[in-house]
Amino acid sequence: MVFFGFVLGVIVGATPGLGGPMAMAISLPILISIFGFEASALLPVLGFLVGIMKGSTIGGAVPAILFNTPGTPDSLMTTLDGYPMTQKGKAGKALRIAHFSSVSGDTFSDVVLIVAAPSLAILVEQFLDFPEKAALIILSLAFIASVVGANVWKGLLAAMLGMFFAYIGTGEDAYPRLSLDTDGLASGLPLVSVILGVLILGAIFQSLENMWREMQEKAVITKVEMSGDNRLHFSDIKSILPFIGLSASLGTMVGALPGIGSTLAATLGYASGKRIHRGDIKFGEGAPQGVAATEAANSSVAGANLIPVLSLGIPGNVSAVFIILAMESIGGFNPGPAVFRLMPDQINPEMVIAFGLFTAMIFANFLNWTLGGVFMRSMGIMIRVPKQRLLPVVLLLTVTSIYVQQTSMFAIYVTVFFGMIGYFMRKLDLSVLPFVIAFILANNLEEAMRQAFAVTGANPWFLFASPVSTGFMGLAVLVILFFSRHRSAV
Amino acid sequence: MGRRLRPIFRRQDMQSERWTIGLALFFAGASTLTLFVWIPIDIETGVIETFRRRTTIGDAMAPTLAAAAIFVISVIMGAVAVLRARINSRSPEAGLDRQDYSFLLLTAVPLVLGLVLMVYVGSVAVEAINALGGEIGTYRELKAAFPYKYLGFLIGGFVMVFGTIRVVENKGTQSAAWVAALAVLALILLYDVPFDNLLLPPNGDF
Repeated sequence: MVFFGFVLGVIVGATPGLGGPMAMAISLPILISIFGFEASALLPVLGFLVGIMKGSTIGGAVPAILFNTPGTPDSLMTTLDGYPMTQKGKAGKALRIAHFSSVSGDTFSDVVLIVAAPSLAILVEQFLDFPEKAALIILSLAFIASVVGANVWKGLLAAMLGMFFAYIGTGEDAYPRLSLDTDGLASGLPLVSVILGVLILGAIFQSLENMWREMQEKAVITKVEMSGDNRLHFSDIKSILPFIGLSASLGTMVGALPGIGSTLAATLGYASGKRIHRGDIKFGEGAPQGVAATEAANSSVAGANLIPVLSLGIPGNVSAVFIILAMESIGGFNPGPAVFRLMPDQINPEMVIAFGLFTAMIFANFLNWTLGGVFMRSMGIMIRVPKQRLLPVVLLLTVTSIYVQQTSMFAIYVTVFFGMIGYFMRKLDLSVLPFVIAFILANNLEEAMRQAFAVTGANPWFLFASPVSTGFMGLAVLVILFFSRHRSAV
Repeated sequence: MGRRLRPIFRRQDMQSERWTIGLALFFAGASTLTLFVWIPIDIETGVIETFRRRTTIGDAMAPTLAAAAIFVISVIMGAVAVLRARINSRSPEAGLDRQDYSFLLLTAVPLVLGLVLMVYVGSVAVEAINALGGEIGTYRELKAAFPYKYLGFLIGGFVMVFGTIRVVENKGTQSAAWVAALAVLALILLYDVPFDNLLLPPNGDF
């Protein structure tokens, strides 16, 4: 499953307009149809999704290097040096450098994940009670809302809207709250419909509109020709290693923080690489080190992004959202600190799944090291797929996938409705990521608050009942204040 | 002579941030309505509930906090936008223009028409056959039978894909029709043929 996911990931990564998250979203219902809802289905499904995640990280560099068209947003910086290398007849070398750097960064990030996630989870489990967990979720949401997008208040507004929608049709009372006494809303808004609507349909509508606007501009397929030595030598590796090391460390740190995506990591990696670069060819003019710095940084985000997922149950980026969605849809695994709990004389099944996930990641990395380069170099053809025909097909595919999973036209209407919301949010600069993550975490937060209120003896100030929770709440306020003064461009 | 004070609200300043100010006003209004109308009438338990001397958080707590937060954030966002507009009245801002509305209206046609056809073509075809004396039974009885189970999806899906391509390319070509037809057939092969337990839209609703 990891292999099939990996192949699909390289293909979608190399196709402009598609990307890992879209492929993960569409594959999920098909995988659930094949493997069912038993806990045993979780590992093959997660393996496939991890394969897509890993494959798409290397695939995105292909159109960026060959055609100056980034396959994924985080490959934008790869075009700066990758395409000039292609123009100089060094496309093969650029692709090899991108592959080596990307896989090195990814492997480094996975090692950090495997070491850090269980340690962090054990710490959280030992030291954090319900009030602290509630405060930690609030801090994470405040952080995500503040760093994603250009305006803190819009980010916070998006997060609160996501949270409010999550409360429709849920609750503990027999009457499902805010359901307007309708059957459709009585069991809450379907998670898959809301997430796929906002993330996938919203993106499709926006891309279609961009293409509709740019109808006059005809894309010209550039013929790529290579000349001279395009192989990757040990001397090349030696010259790019410091850049890979720096970018992988930066990318991993950025990835471990929820909400900060690979685009910022790539920008940081590139900027830092530019500072330490002393070669003949400057950054931006076809320096192999520029490709290495970008690719190592954006690829090292993927593994580290799962640190908050597995240790805290908090998704940090879109790929992590789909990993959580798979876990929620199938059941049998609740991401959070309890995953790594050691039970005397017993095996914790969730810990087995977590380490199964790690194994899938290691296997995907092995595939990346061995077959990734060959696959990647053969994917230049994907640029020829016309986006304006592909996206309407993906639209129908998404709608059908939702129906197959939910068996209700209401779920499709909800998806289209949230697709429109996703489109308007993008148009109005309201970030979709805080919306989606708040939607996922809203009920966890409410549950933590109910429990915290109960264990503190109905103390209305339960969020400030301990120094740790007070610290988290204080940090949340500081984060909002800090970022509202300093606009970030993530 | 004293310096003339700049008015707090100038129409030309507000233009640069009008979408943010509009968003802020909309959500401030919507959250007020939610707090004072929707939540009180559509949630059965209060913010805090006391039952047999045990005090717990009620179902209204979380939505009330979320709606209150939306109100506060909208007010701050609106105030910041007004202040920013006064400082830099020409700052670029995200928003919708006439082309966006045209695109939305154009795309809505194949999307809505496709969904309507998807839902009704199968059942209407079966009713028409029955009306013509075919006596083949109801659509509910035939929802898993070939070819009736594919009618709605085939026609609705084709219209959705072909229509959307037509909008984007601004012309309907034969190759686009082939893409749409092949996409629908591929989805039938992907979801329906290998799996007996999966239903294509709209068959699960009958």
